[in-house]
Amino acid sequence: MTPKFDRDRVHPFAWWAWSILLAIALFVSSDPWYATSLLIASALLVHRFRGDAPWSNSFAMALRFIAVIVAIRMIIAVLIGVPIPGTNLFTLPTLSLPDWIAGIRIGGPVTIERLLSTLGEVMIIVGVVALFAAATSLASPHRSIRALPLAFYQLGLILTIATSIFPQLVASIKRIRLARRMRGVEAGGLRNWRKIAMPLLEDALERSLDLSAAMESRGFGQRIKRTSYRPDSWGILESSILFSAAISAASATVLAESSLTMVISGGLAGVVALIPLSAREKTYVENSREFDGVLS
Amino acid sequence: MISFRKVSLIYPNSSSTVFDDVTFEVGEGEFVLLIGATGMGKSSALKLMNGLVPHHTGGILGGDIQVGGISTRTVRPGELAHLIGIVGQNPIHGFVTDIVEEEIAFAMESLAIDESAMRKRVEEVLDLLALTPLRRRTITSLSGGEQQRVAIAAALVMNPRILLLDEPTSALDPVAAEEVLSILQRIVHDLGVTVVIAEHRLERVIHYAERVIYIASDGSVRVGSPEEVMRSAEIAPPIVELARALGWEEMPLSVRDARRVGAKNINLGEPSPLKALHGEGEAVVEIKRASLGYPSRQVIKELTCTISSGEIVALMGRNGSGKSTLLKSIAGLAEVFSGEIKVADRDPKSLSGHELIELIGYVPQEPADLLYGESVAEECALADHDNKLKPGATLDLAQRLLPEINPATHPRDLSEGQRLILVLAIVLTTSPRLLILDEPTRGLDYQSKERLISILRERVATDSSAVLLATHDVELVAELAERVLFIADGELVSDGEVREVLTASLPFAPQVSKIFAPSKWLTVSEVIDALQK
Repeated sequence: MTPKFDRDRVHPFAWWAWSILLAIALFVSSDPWYATSLLIASALLVHRFRGDAPWSNSFAMALRFIAVIVAIRMIIAVLIGVPIPGTNLFTLPTLSLPDWIAGIRIGGPVTIERLLSTLGEVMIIVGVVALFAAATSLASPHRSIRALPLAFYQLGLILTIATSIFPQLVASIKRIRLARRMRGVEAGGLRNWRKIAMPLLEDALERSLDLSAAMESRGFGQRIKRTSYRPDSWGILESSILFSAAISAASATVLAESSLTMVISGGLAGVVALIPLSAREKTYVENSREFDGVLS
Repeated sequence: MISFRKVSLIYPNSSSTVFDDVTFEVGEGEFVLLIGATGMGKSSALKLMNGLVPHHTGGILGGDIQVGGISTRTVRPGELAHLIGIVGQNPIHGFVTDIVEEEIAFAMESLAIDESAMRKRVEEVLDLLALTPLRRRTITSLSGGEQQRVAIAAALVMNPRILLLDEPTSALDPVAAEEVLSILQRIVHDLGVTVVIAEHRLERVIHYAERVIYIASDGSVRVGSPEEVMRSAEIAPPIVELARALGWEEMPLSVRDARRVGAKNINLGEPSPLKALHGEGEAVVEIKRASLGYPSRQVIKELTCTISSGEIVALMGRNGSGKSTLLKSIAGLAEVFSGEIKVADRDPKSLSGHELIELIGYVPQEPADLLYGESVAEECALADHDNKLKPGATLDLAQRLLPEINPATHPRDLSEGQRLILVLAIVLTTSPRLLILDEPTRGLDYQSKERLISILRERVATDSSAVLLATHDVELVAELAERVLFIADGELVSDGEVREVLTASLPFAPQVSKIFAPSKWLTVSEVIDALQK
């Protein structure tokens, strides 16, 4: 029996094309409303369609990263900044600086307008981070690498190792921190970082060596040409993902009028991709049920 | 098929040779077992065979190694990929892709084999290793035994003449190990592939082997039939120890042989029952209807049990049955979802730092996680500091448990067994009420195992403390434990005296009990004692 063509697999480049296109549109439009709706759209897509592979959690990790970006940017906005007149929230004591940096002011009045304008700026970055995190969560890095042209072979080796090691590192950190606790050492502090870093580094090195040895003994890089057991194909599904990104990008850059149109454009990025994927989801569930039957 | 001629090996930055003038041959279609104490170079020997040593690791190789007529000196390991398949000690470290069938196809993709041939081979290998139902699963979602099978399939797919495996059963429960080994035996018999296995747990593999390569602790290498090598080797499974102790002419390797050769003529009667359980000691661990894991997926369901001081309790069960989760929760490292766990009347989750380690000593699956010093001496000094002990206390204990240890050695340079004992010394300096060990004998040779057993015995005898260990090592449990908790699918299915629990299930029965069934004897020393009376 030859395995029939598998509809469940989305070409890994589809999600990457989707996120790159939208990221460009976001930079061009520079609209915080668009950024916000893209953040929500990518969160929904990830929530609905991510698998159970180790990198599928990268979106959740990115959200934490986003929170840190926003927090740092807002703290800086409160402390340092160009004064924007408006409703005064509170006033910080002004730090007197020497004459030669007269352009910068530390402290002073903090207005709602100033905070909102900073938030708008930071949302663009947040949106881009979310888009890339969504692509990372949805597309298997291993398959992306194997779909790369052959010229990138050495790069492929390095990336395969890196992408396999990082999710495992997260697990190693957890394991080692638990072990630390059992030596009566509590988390935190610089001294403890060294204690976690040592075994972690050792672990990562050992794993990378194991993996590269395994790849080498299985003939990786032996032939310039490489065949593919199950070639990634570009079908309706992939096109519709790309199409949804294109519509969203077009409406965001061309129709950029009100915040409402921007929100709708962002929504388009997710909605159009959702329709064929939902159909896919149904067949997937049926398949997996059949699967359980075989196992039990 | 494989020939070593005057092979010597020395690794970079090392002052001693791993092999010195070693010569042997392995024929075609043989099931070969590679044995030796830890650190004697079993893994190195396997890697020499496919050229990973010295091409991948560095080092100086003297002499010549020929595999299928090709000298490994002249080619990179990748060029031997069609001839030799290798499965490393931790197969999960060597997986390159995400899905079972893609992983199996990986080597063929690398060698640019055309698509239709590739599909045909993948189907054949999936069938051979009974992986067809799992073909679309992600590898991370598989159990240990299934992963091991995927790794073997991925190596076999190239139709190699030789298959090398480094400790293929050390992480597996007895049932999964048996599955993997019988598949390997089929590969030898049906396909004529030469299989070379490095393994510690001889009781699991020795009866499959047709030839044994034995690396003695003085570095000399002997090759011979299993019967021959087992007559004098320093390491031996219980069955061989029994035969040696009773002076049997013929050397039995399987339970059937042992019964035929001599055991049927021995009438031992029944062993005297051990002292009563749950008796004198006060409760150290109390678990009441504890459910562990997550609301959506409970790993342990409503488990209730008590462990008293003076007890050595073994926690057994198949891979993924929830043993590690239970141990972690008792150590306060994982959430208790409902119910309660108390250690010496305190909630382990609420303890931290000094208080925690005075009550609970925990040796994780990777003992090295606990180590971060640059030398054994520094490691012990750090432990003194953390535990607020007088300087030198930990080092004293370490030297008592491990007399040959050199305080200046880096912990990473210790052998696996020595490292475990060092970690034990660090954990035991505070004299915790409860000592927890997770899979302590993985990769441990018989000598280190004996040392571990005597340390733990001494521990529960002198202090009012208890030991709880999770393990797949049936023989260790037979030697050491008094009570066994058996977990299946998150539920406690049996809890009782070691003799009753172990003899009740075939795969978890130690060799001696299989030989003398239906009498319930567990260990060689017991049998010898009984015979002398």
